[in-house]
Amino acid sequence: MSTSSTEILQGRPRRSGLLLACVLAGCVLLLSAQAPGAVKGHRSLLQSWILSASAPVSQLVSAVSREFWGLADRTAETFTARDENVRLKRELARSNQELFQLRARIAEEDRLKLLLSAGAALPAVRMAAPVLLIESRAGGQSALIGAGSSSGVVPGSPIAVPEGLVGRLVTVGATVSRAQLLLDASAAAGARIVRTGELGVIRGDGRGGLRLNNVATTSRVAAGDEIESAGIDGIYPRGVPIGRVAGVERGPMFLEIRVVPAAPFSRLTDVLVLEPSPALAGPGGGQGSGGP
Amino acid sequence: MKFGRVALVLAAATALQFFVGGSRHRGAWPIDAFLIATAIVARGGNASRAILAGGALGFLEDAFAQELLGMNAFAKAALGYVFAILSVRVVFGGAWAVGASLAAASIVNDVIVALLSLLILRAPLVLFSPESLWTAAATGVTGGLLEASRVFPWRDWWERRRLRRLR
Repeated sequence: MSTSSTEILQGRPRRSGLLLACVLAGCVLLLSAQAPGAVKGHRSLLQSWILSASAPVSQLVSAVSREFWGLADRTAETFTARDENVRLKRELARSNQELFQLRARIAEEDRLKLLLSAGAALPAVRMAAPVLLIESRAGGQSALIGAGSSSGVVPGSPIAVPEGLVGRLVTVGATVSRAQLLLDASAAAGARIVRTGELGVIRGDGRGGLRLNNVATTSRVAAGDEIESAGIDGIYPRGVPIGRVAGVERGPMFLEIRVVPAAPFSRLTDVLVLEPSPALAGPGGGQGSGGP
Repeated sequence: MKFGRVALVLAAATALQFFVGGSRHRGAWPIDAFLIATAIVARGGNASRAILAGGALGFLEDAFAQELLGMNAFAKAALGYVFAILSVRVVFGGAWAVGASLAAASIVNDVIVALLSLLILRAPLVLFSPESLWTAAATGVTGGLLEASRVFPWRDWWERRRLRRLR
């Protein structure tokens, strides 16, 4: 039997039990100090220091990982190149047809844009940043982004991909930031059903899906309807796609609407950091934990 | 396990977490490298080191992924202690047993974090999500494979292979 095993069997458990009690008590004290209602700012500061300190390692490993997986993907693609070529040619032909139809609509769209321009709040992109890590645990969904205060990023900045909204930055280090994804069980955003114009609150369900809440049972929302950000929460800009309605069920007061996210959360590699809402630009903005 | 090795295991777990988590294939095999590292340290039987390693790795995980620091540290320190006690006191071995206990530990870790989030942040209680179960399965299988490769008689196998070639 090894020395450490003998130690445990001959009285060390008391010492290690004491150490465990101390570590657990330390964790509880640390958690209590950060709990909502306690002094704000400390947790973000400590977290941003840790993020800044670990940035070189995380960025280096992430770069190696990208190279490795990129090489693996490229190798795999050589075997599927012929089929891919045929598929792309078909897609190109279909896209050309759509382009022809879309050109005809542009004139009409321009006229509509002029009408809407007064209320438009198109999102301004600050920069593109790589996703270093995505973690999901117990309903919490977060991502580490390779951008920080050194590139002018501030807490509360929304992040998105061309397909749709992804989340927002909550803790900003010098070169690395932590983002809360829209899928997080505590995340929420103001949303609008594009077809009907009705407003609601979109929430992550912590299981990879979204739910649109606070939509009245009289709504004409149907499966397949597009959902976009409403710009009413002071965090996210208006008009960014969020997802598509997957199913509608009738609740006691409101409809229970399941939404499939537009952004490919499982395959995120890069995100666009958007300019924060003017509501967050003031001192202390963007320090909150949840949604609106 | 010596401190140098413990440090090496912790560094490797952090690197592995970023290596897998930074790729777009992260969902295919989402292992909890921090939990596996805690179990490796605990395998040595020294409960104090297992608690400290679990606490440190959990703290790091909190910094990267959680809203509050201390939730994963709490869970992983406790799991490190349990692993160390199990590895010494229970007649416990084999890749299947290690894999099953790691998978169970991954779920327990999730439950502890979910309960702490509920108590402190009033966050919705999300338990046994498909992602969480898949992570537990991947972590368990990876831990089982590591244990199997650890106890596999590589030297004998290599010798037999060499002799077979000579014949």
